[in-house]
Amino acid sequence: MTLSSTGPAAKNRTSASAGNGSEGNHSSLVLGPRDRLVGLLYVEGDLRVVGTVEGELDVTGSVEIDDGGRVTGPVTARDRLVVGRSGVLKGDVRVARLVVEDGATFIGKVSMGKAALEAPPKPPEVAKPPEAVKPPEAVKPPETVMAPEAAIAPEAVKAPEAVKPQVPVKAVQPVKPAQPIQATKPPDRKTKPPDRKRRF
Amino acid sequence: MDVQEAVSESQHVASADDNGDGKRDGQRRFTMGPNDSLEGKLVYDGHVHVDGRAEGEFRVTGNLDVASGATARILIEATNVTLKGTVEGSVAARDKLTLGRGAKLSGDIAARRLQIDDGASLNGHVRMGDFEQHGSGG
Repeated sequence: MTLSSTGPAAKNRTSASAGNGSEGNHSSLVLGPRDRLVGLLYVEGDLRVVGTVEGELDVTGSVEIDDGGRVTGPVTARDRLVVGRSGVLKGDVRVARLVVEDGATFIGKVSMGKAALEAPPKPPEVAKPPEAVKPPEAVKPPETVMAPEAAIAPEAVKAPEAVKPQVPVKAVQPVKPAQPIQATKPPDRKTKPPDRKRRF
Repeated sequence: MDVQEAVSESQHVASADDNGDGKRDGQRRFTMGPNDSLEGKLVYDGHVHVDGRAEGEFRVTGNLDVASGATARILIEATNVTLKGTVEGSVAARDKLTLGRGAKLSGDIAARRLQIDDGASLNGHVRMGDFEQHGSGG
């Protein structure tokens, strides 16, 4: 469903209308007005979005959204995020610095400062599949526990043997008293009185 | 909460509006100085300038600005809001909210237009567009 591109792969997908940007070894990517990215993009460097992004952006440098650029999804910028006057950003943001120009559209939660940038781990969202692996692991533990218990078992078996001879003898005695005989008498008396009343 | 309700109708002006600045657009102006403090609820028909220390709820028909160096723990509702000091609380700007380069805001924002200058600090939710006035507005 979603496309996940990291590092070099992302560079290949983006249009090379660079030149606006930064200097030296710091790479700069530009998503042009006709470009569209759906997925997760990690960039070591700066990113300028003039096209459309639906997904997550994680950039070590700065992010600039302008000239009709639209981003829907969370954005992490280790340096600065700029939402230009014609930029649209809908998503939560973690940034060191934030600039929103008059005219820009921005909806989301803003977290600024070192703590906000150190906290976000990128893997968790990608690491959802492991849920399917958990069930088999949960079944195995009970089997492995059985083996160590077998070594201790002999002690537990001795105790029940000592109790067995006493129980069966007592159980037979309480059955002897002849209760069924008494139970038969009362019904006879009850049937007689109604007969006498009818005679009077 | 022992918040005293200070519904200001009078011109409680700490810094006079004799420069004419405050009434340029015909609106009254409530100006706090750097040594002033206000605790409570202020409903004011006009502009408000906050300096010093403010705590509570400010509902203003005009503009409200918090000066650099000022500290405010307030709920703000105004037409245009300009923050340059430290503010803790939610801000609703019927038109525009501006965070100056020295502003530090911890709280949620609702504004029709938003401008954040480089150097400003913000932690909270941002909602943009036309919005209903929340709560019991004055």
